[in-house]
Amino acid sequence: MRLAMDEFAHLDSPIHRWEPRCKLLGLMTLMFAFAFVERVWLVPVMLAIALSLYAASRLPLSFLRSRLRYPGYFLLGVVVLLPFFSGQTVLWQMGPLALRQEGLSAMLLIAGRFLAIVTTGFILLGTTPFLTLVAALRSLGLPPVLADMTLLTYRYLFDLAETLSRMKLAMRLRGFGQAQSGDRRGCAIPFLSRRSELGNLSALAGTLLIRSYEQSERVYKAMRLRGYGYTSQSTTAPVTRKKTLLSRLDPASVMGLAGAVSLAIALLGLGFIPVSAGIPQLDHLLSFR
Amino acid sequence: MHIPDGILPAPVCIGGYALAAPLLGYALRKINRMPDVTEQIPKASLLTAAFFIASSIHIPIPPASVHLVLNGLLGAVLGYFAVPAIAIGLFLQAVMFGHGGLTTLGVNTVMMGLPALLAAWVFRLRHRFGRLGARRADLLFAFLAGAMGLGLAAIIFFGLILATLPSELDAQTERLAVYGLVASHVPLALIEGVFTAMLVSFLRRVKPELLPGSARWDGSNQSRANQPSTDQSSGESTGGRAA
Repeated sequence: MRLAMDEFAHLDSPIHRWEPRCKLLGLMTLMFAFAFVERVWLVPVMLAIALSLYAASRLPLSFLRSRLRYPGYFLLGVVVLLPFFSGQTVLWQMGPLALRQEGLSAMLLIAGRFLAIVTTGFILLGTTPFLTLVAALRSLGLPPVLADMTLLTYRYLFDLAETLSRMKLAMRLRGFGQAQSGDRRGCAIPFLSRRSELGNLSALAGTLLIRSYEQSERVYKAMRLRGYGYTSQSTTAPVTRKKTLLSRLDPASVMGLAGAVSLAIALLGLGFIPVSAGIPQLDHLLSFR
Repeated sequence: MHIPDGILPAPVCIGGYALAAPLLGYALRKINRMPDVTEQIPKASLLTAAFFIASSIHIPIPPASVHLVLNGLLGAVLGYFAVPAIAIGLFLQAVMFGHGGLTTLGVNTVMMGLPALLAAWVFRLRHRFGRLGARRADLLFAFLAGAMGLGLAAIIFFGLILATLPSELDAQTERLAVYGLVASHVPLALIEGVFTAMLVSFLRRVKPELLPGSARWDGSNQSRANQPSTDQSSGESTGGRAA
C-alpha cells in the first residue's frame, strides 16, 4: 500500500495558484457537470476540458498514469462486458460474440465520464496540499468534528500502516501462511481452509485496533496538554472573518471559479439541445437514450 | 465495494449526497451530545485509521483472497462515530487511491454508513439477551452485526447498479446476474460475520472497554453478583463516582 500524497503540490501553475476554496467549488461543479453528460458526442468535449485542465496544472503524466492503474481495472470490466451483453442492435458479429450498439454507446459514456471525473479529481488533489484542502472544506462549512477527525485519521494512517506491516512481518517470521500439513484443527467453514487462520487474522486486526486505541489515549493526553478542546470561544471568529476573507480573494481565482461554473452550465445546456436537427438517423446514432 | 465515478447518473449522485447529509447530521448531533466529545474524537479517529488499514488485510479463500469491508465491526465498536468514520475513510480512499470517487462519495457513505449504524444498534441489542450468557450474546450479536453490515451494503450496491445500468439488458440475464451476485455474497457475509465475532471475542478477552456498553454490562453483572470486581471498567466507574 503506497500512501504518498502531496508529491506534486509544490509545483507552480495557474491551477496551483488558484485559491483553494474557489478551486474546490469550481472543479467539483465541473465534476458534477461531467456526471450529467448523457450524450455520446459530448464525451470528447468533456475529455478535452479535463485534459486541458490537466495540462494547465503541469502535473506530470506519470502521476495520472499511476493513479489510474487501480480504477483502470473497473474501466476494463465495463469496456469488456457492456458492448457485448447490452442492447439489441447488432453492429458486428463473430460466432457467439456480437458487438451491440446500445452497449457500445453506454460503454463510451461510462468510460468517458469516468475518465473525465477522475482526471479532474486528481487535478484537485494533486495541486492542493491535503491540509489546505481540509482547511478549505472547513471554511466552506464542514463540521469541526469531521475536520478534526479527518486530520487526525490522516496523520495516523501512515503510522498504523507501518505498524501493520511490521506485525505482518512478525507473523510471517513465526510461520503464518506457510503450508501446515498436520494442522487439521477446528471445524471447516465453507470456503475457508483453516479456522485457525481466520482466528489469527482477527487477532491481528484486533491487536491493531488495541494498539491504535492505546496510542489514542496518549495522543489525547498530549493534545490536551497543548490546549486541545479549549476553542469554544474562538469558534465564532471564522464566521465574522468570512466576509473579509471573501473580499480578499484575488480576481483571477474568482474568474476561474466563474469560468468553471459557466463551463459546467454550458455542458448541461448542450446535453439538452436536440442534436439531430431533424435527421432521425443521426439522433439515433448520437443520443444514448 | 465502492461505486466509482461515472457509472451512476448524476441525479443519483446528488441524491446520495442529499441522503448522506442528514445521516451524518444525525450522527454528529448524537456525538455532540456526548459528555466527553473532545476525548472521543482522537479515539474515534485513530480507530478510523486502524479500520482503514485493517480492511487491507486479505483473507485467503483457497483459489483467491478477499479483503474485508468491516463496516459492521466499525458500527459495533464505534457506535455513532461509525458514520463520520466511514465518510472520512471513503474520502481518504478516493483521495489517495482513486477507490470510489468524489461524485459518488455521498452514495457510498449511505451504502456503507447506514448498515454500519444498523449494525451498531443490533450489537447494542445484546444486552437485552442476558439469558444467553454475556459471552454467547456478544458473539452472536457480533456475528449478526458483521454479516448484516456487509449483506445490507451488498444489497444496496447491487440494487443501485441494477437500477441504473442500461435497461437494454434482457430480463433473464439480469435475473441470472442478480442471483449469481447475491449467491456470491452470502459466503462473504458469513466470513465477515465470523471474523467480526472472532474479533469481538478477542477484544472481550484483551481490551473489553473497546466494546461500547461493556461497562454497563459488567456493572449489571456485578450488582447481581454483589461482590467487588477487579474489572478495569467497573473500577473506573467507581473511581469516577468517588471523585
